[in-house]
Amino acid sequence: MESLHNTEWDVLIAGTGLPQSLLALALSRSGKRVLHVDKNDYYGGPQAVLSTQEAEAWVMNTNAGTSLFSDAALSIPTPNPSHGSPKLSFPRAYSLALAPQLIYTQSGLLSYLLSSKVYRQLEFLAMGSWWIYSPQALNLEAPSGSPPSPGQLIRIPATREDVAFSDTGIDLRSKRAVMKVLRFVMDYENQAEVWQPYSSKPLSDLLTHCLKLPSSLHSLFLALTLTLDKPQRTTTSYALPRIARHLRSMGRLGAGFSAVIPKWGGMSELTQVACRAGAVGGGVYVLGKGITTLSTEAESTSVLLGNHDTIRTKWIVGAPDDLGPCTGCPVSSSVAAEITSRSIAIVSSSLESLFPTTFEGSPKPAGAVVVFPVGSLGQSQHLQDNPVYLLVHSSDTGECPVGQSIIYGFCCGESQGLLESAIATLLTAVNEPSTPHILWSLQFKQHHPTDSNQATSQNFAEATQVLSFPPPSSDLVFDDSILDSVKSVWERITESDADRGDFLVFGERGALGEEYDEA
Amino acid sequence: MSDGATPLPKPSSSVKLVLLGEAAVGKAPNMTQSSLVMRFVNNDFQDNKEPTIGAAFLTQKCTLPTRTIKFEIWDTAGQERFASLAPMYYRNAQAALVVYDITKPASLIKAQHWVAELQRQASPGIVIALVGNKLDLVASAGSDGEEVEGEDARGVPAAQARSYAEEEGLLFFETSAKTGERVAEVFTAIAGAIPETQLKGPRGGQRVEERRVE
Repeated sequence: MESLHNTEWDVLIAGTGLPQSLLALALSRSGKRVLHVDKNDYYGGPQAVLSTQEAEAWVMNTNAGTSLFSDAALSIPTPNPSHGSPKLSFPRAYSLALAPQLIYTQSGLLSYLLSSKVYRQLEFLAMGSWWIYSPQALNLEAPSGSPPSPGQLIRIPATREDVAFSDTGIDLRSKRAVMKVLRFVMDYENQAEVWQPYSSKPLSDLLTHCLKLPSSLHSLFLALTLTLDKPQRTTTSYALPRIARHLRSMGRLGAGFSAVIPKWGGMSELTQVACRAGAVGGGVYVLGKGITTLSTEAESTSVLLGNHDTIRTKWIVGAPDDLGPCTGCPVSSSVAAEITSRSIAIVSSSLESLFPTTFEGSPKPAGAVVVFPVGSLGQSQHLQDNPVYLLVHSSDTGECPVGQSIIYGFCCGESQGLLESAIATLLTAVNEPSTPHILWSLQFKQHHPTDSNQATSQNFAEATQVLSFPPPSSDLVFDDSILDSVKSVWERITESDADRGDFLVFGERGALGEEYDEA
Repeated sequence: MSDGATPLPKPSSSVKLVLLGEAAVGKAPNMTQSSLVMRFVNNDFQDNKEPTIGAAFLTQKCTLPTRTIKFEIWDTAGQERFASLAPMYYRNAQAALVVYDITKPASLIKAQHWVAELQRQASPGIVIALVGNKLDLVASAGSDGEEVEGEDARGVPAAQARSYAEEEGLLFFETSAKTGERVAEVFTAIAGAIPETQLKGPRGGQRVEERRVE
């Protein structure tokens, strides 16, 4: 293997997480000498994808070190002896995503993937329905004398047509109220006088007092915010843009879906494609080698990578997790860290009923969201004061074999018990002929400092600047603010380049073969 | 209507082909695998011409009697240097070209490593062609690549590489990117070896983002 010792670079990028990889893509045609390293021997950092075997190693490393993740635990139930039920496949049949985020179709990310020409190497799949679990029927006008209904999954209608025509278990009077809210949110900017007084109050207050929505239906709209926070902490000013984002994304790239997910394990695929673009542009890639120390002598800073290679560079960019020695403060020591309980479960069923095609001509959905509002898991021994979100991915995502599916669980705080009970409840509520079971599952905690989400910078001697991206959030949605922080870092690094062009906008490379023809 | 109807165009499919192999095979260092591809794509080989840098992949059509195959040819972009090839490189590859230098035995060892890596990482049905390049440096080579005893630069006997290829179920060729000898044959053979059932439409898969983004 070649040596990096004594080499000089313009930019050292530490870590192959999403912001770093997008930066590598952004710099791929800048002519800068870019060295891109990762202390892990895989791409993606906190957005990586793991086979079941890699997950075992990940659990050991996570529990041994200090990182964004902690308290990782695997559980593999003894296989069901019953004949014919699907069994856990070989390790590489699985691509489990640490960051299974969905990307709204109005996200700037999709435009950048297009303008930077890397979209051709990616495949996106449609997210389908949003479901909400209700321990009892939502109907306000339940026929008297009808037996108490068991818990059920209700599909959230997200367009007015959907509300009007679909049978979602919502009665007519409620449908009218829901329509009114939908109309309002689609146009909320022009109705500031209505919602401004409630700006810093919970969204529920606005729904109750202004929009006269029965409180039993509030969870339909809270679910569309995809916020892990408690309803009383979900303010109107926070929630309205998020609900509007959902509604306005609907149909933008095709009928019947508002968001997409990359195939093959969420954001990981994006990091790999972006890094490949960096390599194609001349960047050098080294896995399994992180920043060990930084030393400053006179005017020059040298960086020790791994144990052997000392290099020099003008810029060092990374996430806090990868820059440890440069910033001197590991992420997990941050006092203000919040915790999200996370889980990844491989399920013995395709959970087909969660992925209906709701519009004629819309692509077959590969993902679904199932929300358990606060209090809906009341029967369990754990008090539920935060909503639980489950992202369900079908085998079309390439994350598991056909006939199985993956459930990604998210809940604020120390909530592993709630995640388990939500998954168990879902598997019962889907009404499959034989109750699906969990073949394999991984639980862990994700820490996220609540302070800055700005890129920060620090000088090391005269010669080296260290720029840090904010740590990843545990948002279920790709956060467009990542694009802003990557752009600001790119702007600083390319400040003196007169011909740097626009951020992530590249022309066609002169292909030698025939022109690429679009189908 | 049935008389004189224009024949239907041949079915056309895209095939992702990945390149792997010893870095110094071919011409420019680290761009080696490209030389064969340049010859195939361009039918042009100039000693000092810079290979294209920066295209995500090159495309070239290969017309068979019953169908047209459009190769999307991916090179490693140097990511193999520090063992940093991403899984997405192998993903969905239906064919692989593993190149070695017939004047350097060590390059065949390296090629064998890549074959093992492909068998581990790539789709089970992938068509792998093992290609010994630089046939032009070998004096008096027979037309089918069989060596003729004598003093030349050959370091890897064709028989040795061929028997390895047979064991592993690989296609095997010796070529010269420089003269173009047998280069087109390699790609035609790969195209022919890809099972009909593996072929998708021109753009396989669902790519919703291409439908409409302004």
